This record gives sequence, C-alpha cells and structure tokens, in this order.
Amino acid sequence: MADGKMSQPRSLSQHQFKWLLVVPLVAFFVLFFVIPVGLLFATSFNPAKVGQVALVSDLTFDNYIRFFSRSNYLMAAGRSILLASIVSVITLIVAYPMAFVIAKTENPARNTFLLILVLASMQLDMVIRLYGMMVILGDNGLINQILQELGLTDGPVALMYNFRGVVFGLVQFAIPFMVLTLVGVIKGIPSSLEEAARSLGASRRRAFMRVTLPASMPGILSGSLLVFALSISSYIVPALMGGFRVGVLPIHIYQQVAESARFQFGATIAVILFLISAAAVAIYLRLGNRKSGGLA
Amino acid sequence: MAYVEFKAIAKSFGNFVAVADLDLEIEQGEFFSLLGPSGCGKSTTLRMLAGFVKPTKGHINVHGRDVTALPPEARDIGIVFQNYAIFPHMTVFDNIAFGLVERKLSRPEIKKKVDAALAEVGMTGFEDRYERELSGGQKQRVALARVLVIEPEILLLDEPLSALDKKMREEMKFWIKNIQKSVGITTIYVTHDQSEALTMSDRIAVMDQGRVLQVGSPVEIYEQPASRFIAEFIGESNLLKCQVTTLDGSACSVNLGDVSIPGRLSSNASVEPGQDVALLVRPEMIRLRPIEANEPPKLQGTVSETIYQGSVVRYRIHAAGQEIMVEVANRPDLPRLNTGDNVATYWSAESGVVIP
Ligand SMILES: Nc1ncnc2c1ncn2[C@@H]1O[C@H](COP(=O)(O)OP(=O)(O)OP(=O)(O)O)[C@@H](O)[C@H]1O
Ligand SMILES: [Mg+2]
Repeated sequence: MADGKMSQPRSLSQHQFKWLLVVPLVAFFVLFFVIPVGLLFATSFNPAKVGQVALVSDLTFDNYIRFFSRSNYLMAAGRSILLASIVSVITLIVAYPMAFVIAKTENPARNTFLLILVLASMQLDMVIRLYGMMVILGDNGLINQILQELGLTDGPVALMYNFRGVVFGLVQFAIPFMVLTLVGVIKGIPSSLEEAARSLGASRRRAFMRVTLPASMPGILSGSLLVFALSISSYIVPALMGGFRVGVLPIHIYQQVAESARFQFGATIAVILFLISAAAVAIYLRLGNRKSGGLA
Repeated sequence: MAYVEFKAIAKSFGNFVAVADLDLEIEQGEFFSLLGPSGCGKSTTLRMLAGFVKPTKGHINVHGRDVTALPPEARDIGIVFQNYAIFPHMTVFDNIAFGLVERKLSRPEIKKKVDAALAEVGMTGFEDRYERELSGGQKQRVALARVLVIEPEILLLDEPLSALDKKMREEMKFWIKNIQKSVGITTIYVTHDQSEALTMSDRIAVMDQGRVLQVGSPVEIYEQPASRFIAEFIGESNLLKCQVTTLDGSACSVNLGDVSIPGRLSSNASVEPGQDVALLVRPEMIRLRPIEANEPPKLQGTVSETIYQGSVVRYRIHAAGQEIMVEVANRPDLPRLNTGDNVATYWSAESGVVIP
C-alpha cells in the first residue's frame, strides 16, 4: 500500500550508487545476449551455405524469402504460436487456483510448504522430468492402462510423440513459473478490495469475478507472456515429448543447424521466433495498459 | 432498543484475545467513535459488525435483527477503509456504480445516482479517472460516494483520515461530519486520534486491550474520564498524586502537599477518605499568578520551564514535589512569567477531577 510511504529526499550520490549496481547485469546482458543475438541477426542475412559459419559481407533476403514461401515453415510458425498459446491458457487455468490458495494462506509454515511443493519439480532437470512423464503417458503407460482397465478405450490413446504430448510436457514445465508470478500479484492485492466489494453487496463469487480476478490481471498477463515465451522457444520438450514429429520452430532450427549445417537459415528461423516473442510482448504491453488501468 | 447492539461480543485469534466481552449500544443517526491506542481491537470490532470477522462469542443486532451469522453482502453496511480500497481496474464512475450494479439497477438509474453521488462529494468531472490518477483526498471522496450511493443502514469508517496530511485531515474531518449530518446515517468511526473523535462524535467509546473503558459524549470523556488511562489518552493532562480528605456526594477534597484542594469525583467512581488518588487538571484549566502577601493558602510552585508557542504559552511548574503543565492563552492581560518565578496556581473546583 502506498499510504504513508513518503518520498524520501535522496542524495545525489546515493542515486548514482544505485545505477552502479546495475552495471554487472548490463555487462553480462550485453556480452551474452546482445552480441550473440546481434551476430545471429546478421548471419540470417548471409546466403545459406552448408558448413559456412563465419559472417560474410554478402547480404541477402533469400533466407527470409525461403521461409515465407515454403508452407511447411509457415505452418511450423503457426504450430509454434498455437502450441505456446494453448500451453499458456492451460497453465493459467491450472496454476491460478493453486496460486490463489498459496497467496491467501497466511500461516507462514503452510505457505512455505505449498510453495516448495510447486517448486519441487524445478529441482529436477527437464530431461529427467520428461522421461518421468513418459512412464505415465506412453502407450503402455499408467494413463493408458487405466483407460483400458475402465474400458473407456480399446487400444492405447496416443498421449505422446504428438502435439498433445508436447502440451503436457510444456504445461508441467511452465506451472511453477506461472504460479510464482501469480502468487506475487495476488498477494499484492489488498484484502480490503474484496471486502469492499462484499460489503457493497457482492457475493464471494461475484467479488472474485468483479474485483480480485481483474485486479490480478497484471499477473495473468505477465505470467502468460512468460509461459508463452518459454513454450515457444522450448526445444527439449518438443524433441522428447514430440519425438521430433511435432515440427515447431525450435525443432526446425535444430535440424537446420545440427543436421543440415545451414547456419544462416537456422539463424533466420531463430530471428523469426524472436520476433514472434517480441510481438507477444508488444501485445501484452497494450493489453496491460487497457485491461488493468495501467497497473501492469 | 438501540439501533446497533453488540451483546457480549468477544473475538480471539488463537490464544490472543483481541476483543473481550464487549457491550455497546449505538443509536440511530448517531456519530459514534471507537477510540483507543493501536492494537486495542477497534478494527476487529468494526469488522465484526461489517461481517468480515466472525465473533468467537456474542451477538450483534442491527435494527432488532440478529446479523451475527449474515455474510457481509447481506448486511447493508457501507465501509470506508484506511487505504480507501478503490478498485484499481475501474474508473471512478464504475467504482461508485459497483454496489448499484450488484443491486441490478437499470443503467439510467445507475447513471443518475452516480452523478448525484459525485456531486455530493464534489467529484463531478472525475468519473473517467482511475485510482492512480487521484490524490488521497479525492480517493477518500470516491470511497465515501461509493458507499453512500447504496444508502446503507450504517456507515463504518476505519481510520479514514490517517493516510492524509495534516491540513487535509483537518479539512476532511469537518467535511465527513457535515456529510454524515446531512445524510443522517448512523456512523461508526474508528480512530486512534483523540482530536478527531472529540471533534466529530456524538458519543465516544474509549477502548484498551480489547475492552471498552468508557462510553460518553466528548465532553464527558474529556472532562470526566473514568480512569487515569483515559485521562492520559485523551488530551493532555496533569495527574497529581494526592489523598482524599473529605467526601460529600460528588464533591471531594484532596490533600496536595500542604493544601486542601476542592475537586469533584469522576463519574461512577467511588473513593474513601484517606485513599491515594489522582487529581486530573487539564493544563488549560489552570491559571497562574505571582504570589501575593496575605493570601489564602493555594498550591504554590516555581516556574521551571517556559515554552512559547505563539497562540499559547506553556509553563512547567514545580509544585508540591510534582510537575504541573500549564497552558495560558497569549494575551496581554495575562501576566508573562519567567523561569524561576514563584507562582500560585488556581483552578475551579469543577476542573479538578478525582480519579481513583
Ligand atoms: N487476523 C488476525 N490474526 C491474528 N491477530 C489479529 C488478527 N487481526 C487482528 N489481530 C490482533 O488483534 C489485535 C487488535 O487488532 P485491531 O486491528 O482490531 O486493532 P486496532 O485497534 O484497529 O489497531 P490499529 O489502530 O493499529 O488499527 C491486534 O493485537 C492484532 O495484532
Ligand atoms: Mg485498525
């Protein structure tokens, strides 16, 4: 709450010191993000030549033209966007109730316990987790066995090595990120907002729908954005859960770079992937300003 | 039967007793304050009436109806919070319309009522603003409009002024009181600021550690505090150690140093001759005069400190082994004293209150 938080006069030197604190991060960011991404961007404008890694001065749009004139690449882009969107929505639906419970649990011991529960899965490497999921989702996995025991299906339902499998894998990967983002935002909503709504005549459910949920919109948006970006750029999950059969952009990047050794075209797909994520951020910023009265 | 009745209400959080055995009766149309130090259970009491907190035991009646088990939305009570709780994702208009929408009024009706409410709180023209575009005082007005527009039976205010600066606070104090009077709504006001309570209230309940210590009009609370705690909490006070000498109804003389001083017994108190008591004298009730010869015995002392404050001058007097604070209006017809002067102190018998 902002009450009573007077703006304190801050001396100039303190102010300058504050800026010094960000120097290590900025240096790291430039060295390991801006420069590589810049090089990647430049490479994507070089003619595709198998085995060629170094930058050349020859500039061309051929790679981009190739990308946008081949339907399998365009479909891969569409598939990636669809996948990331579906994962964001499912993760939100699964994570919100959990985040809500954690945020409203005041007992610190119980609160910590619930958070650890959510974060526990992050302790294991993604590959190990995915192999774990295979045991459950495979043709002879737990779920298929149960479905057949119950007589709901005759043969096994393909839960893996397809789009569905990738969605399962990404959702379980993304849940902790979504929960953490949402817990922070929901905790920051003063309980007096809900109470005000209640005493103005709203039932518990109405108060949630009209006040708490919209007030947590900044968290919903930023959590979804985070999950979208994580999902659309994930390689390992489509590789293992989709068995290379779900052709999303990161799979294509891998194939271009590792299998065909066409770095330039791989770079082009990577740049396009990056632009899709950037577009998602732009949409988020606009939504954030409209939906939440500028809270985001 | 009173309009709002708390009957033997108690609230514990685990082993901690936040409110203990509370009985209160509040009349219709009254401006009633709960006054007490931080943590004494004021908000808890208010929140039990609003329905946010379930009493551990006891009942609350409103207008003869037992509301103890009702959820907040069924109580017809409006509350203004310390942080105003303006919905951040809604405009001022939608904030004020919130309760009307819940009551399923038609759009034109809502518009009419919100416009009227905006006008009443002087916020016409602000309907499209968001919370972050409002000052503290404006948020306050919106919060009040949002509540008044649904015409609740009772208005609850939990420290609504504490987030404002001093000047704004003074202004809003009278503004809230005026609105309350013109609407005529039964109001319960929570504050730890005695000057707010004294200025605005018809009656005040002074609370400490989950209990109500005294209920009375501002005059009663200020001039006849039932205990030393209340005397010290409300206004500034000199509590002089003394013994009861004679007792006659509420008239009561005490021995202070070597002089006998007339006073009156505080309401509902009972003392016996010889008992050690405190004599409460407010600083502004005391007059000072240089000592003259052949004077009847008065409490005499020495000025140990002079504090000039513009409109008033304050003197710290050392008398009968105790410190007495005196506040004198800064007027040319009153003598100005200096540190070290010997003075005689005066106050009328009504101004000296004997507190057990
Ligand atoms: N939900 C709660 N759980 C545990 N203790 C609580 C809870 N709510 C209040 N208390 C305790 O009950 C006591 C009374 O709280 P309350 O909020 O009623 O005080 P208050 O008189 O309004 O004080 P303030 O002027 O600081 O607002 C406090 O000691 C507080 O710590
Ligand atoms: Mg309080």
